[in-house]
Amino acid sequence: MSDRALQDDVIRALADAPYRKSAAWRTRGLADPDRVERFARFLARHFYHERVVHFFKYSRALARVTRRRPEAVLTRPGFEALVPSIVLGSRQTAKAVAQLVVTHVGDAGDAGAAIRYLGELLRYEAAMMVVEAGPRIWREDPESGGEGAGSGEWSAPETVEGTVLLELAYDLPVVLPELLRPWSEVPQAPARSTKLLVARSPRGRVAVARSTDAVAALLRLADGRKTLAELAQGAGLEVRELEQTLRGLVELGAVRFSTGS
Amino acid sequence: MAALMIGAFYNPHLGAELVRADGIDHLAMADPPTAGDPHWPAIRARYTLLLHDYLGQLSEPLDERSIERARTLAELYRTPWVAEHFQCLHTVDGTYNLNYVFPPLYSEDFLERFVRNANALRARLDQPLVMENIPGFFDVRASQLPEPVWLRRFFDATETGFLLDLPHVWLEAHYRGLKPERWLAEFPLDRVVELHVAGVEEDNDLGGPWIAPAEPSDEMLGFLAHAVTRCPQAKAVTFDAFSPSLTAEALFRSVERIRETL
Repeated sequence: MSDRALQDDVIRALADAPYRKSAAWRTRGLADPDRVERFARFLARHFYHERVVHFFKYSRALARVTRRRPEAVLTRPGFEALVPSIVLGSRQTAKAVAQLVVTHVGDAGDAGAAIRYLGELLRYEAAMMVVEAGPRIWREDPESGGEGAGSGEWSAPETVEGTVLLELAYDLPVVLPELLRPWSEVPQAPARSTKLLVARSPRGRVAVARSTDAVAALLRLADGRKTLAELAQGAGLEVRELEQTLRGLVELGAVRFSTGS
Repeated sequence: MAALMIGAFYNPHLGAELVRADGIDHLAMADPPTAGDPHWPAIRARYTLLLHDYLGQLSEPLDERSIERARTLAELYRTPWVAEHFQCLHTVDGTYNLNYVFPPLYSEDFLERFVRNANALRARLDQPLVMENIPGFFDVRASQLPEPVWLRRFFDATETGFLLDLPHVWLEAHYRGLKPERWLAEFPLDRVVELHVAGVEEDNDLGGPWIAPAEPSDEMLGFLAHAVTRCPQAKAVTFDAFSPSLTAEALFRSVERIRETL
């Protein structure tokens, strides 16, 4: 095994609690198991503290009303119970940690009742956190031409795994910036049916965009096999309109193309 | 030794206070300024800014996009040097990422990788490159060289400077049961360009002290005073705290105490 592979093994042991318990890791005897375990717990709390504070920043801004700070879950028994199964950066762990926050903040009782859109806000923030999870590209492969639509020949587009479409009863994008500015009365979100697309680029940048029925149909249909003509027909779009929409979705990270060889 | 610059990290939530502050010579930039930061133009106009962002891990060559990003930030900040870390925190395939500084194996193979990739990065920058030491909470048995020896050999093989993080050295000494001054003496102090100093706090998971965005203790400041006398090329000391929880009072008092110490 190369030194680089060995370093990857140590990184994996710190990131992946089930692997840390496995015979495959333990028999290697690479480091003091107690120190490794303690450092892994430290890393897990740090990793999710950073994400909870970032992705739940809007419900954090509401904490003076709800009296529930999202990051408080990281020192509560629910998080402790998760520790033996945590895999840093995995979608499954992101879902589990986000659910702890949703339950904790959403259970704010009368204090939370003044914020009619609180449940939807938490669902939106949880979706952001879950979409961000998953392996990412840290370095461009010089052969790949980078991320984005690129100039290669487009073939069948495919919705990127993990892309989420949210259907909300409140127009959250209107209220989000207001929550981060000074306020005395809780800012209210207009009660208006809203579709939001949450996607992630290969490098891990999470983006949100308003969506339409046509985009929703397109994302449902784009399976990597259907042609552009088939997709245009299914989504009710002109081909030119479809290409423009796909370009936007590729930029967001919601759709990828295999390029011609 | 020339007069040392004494500074801190740019914490955007303290932007208004930093624009008006006295007694701070420079600000290190851990993140690029956000588009909506109202204080950024005044901060840029007023301060010497040090590029201290995450550029990439030098166990692998930086790709063109990362190098361009480094060059763009260096130009924006007009930085006198560019900093990176001796770290390897994500796997080659991108599956696992610690999202926290973590040192490489101190082996011949990793030394060769870091030397090659640091030299390649340095060749693409218009400013000198400095590299910061990273603390290990445990030793990996596959390491072949003591960290200070590995660092010495790295600096000998590259024309990079040393960004000496003192709390990192202090923590390693603590967990090795050594006196900090004794452990520090092993490091290539003649290559130091900048020093970081900050506080440490007890961490429940680690069962001991660890890096924290806190004021340096009197002991840490004494350690700084000791270290500076052994770093003849040092140009700057930076209070290393970057956190939304950091208060203006803690930042300014820390810088003032560093200045009094030196």
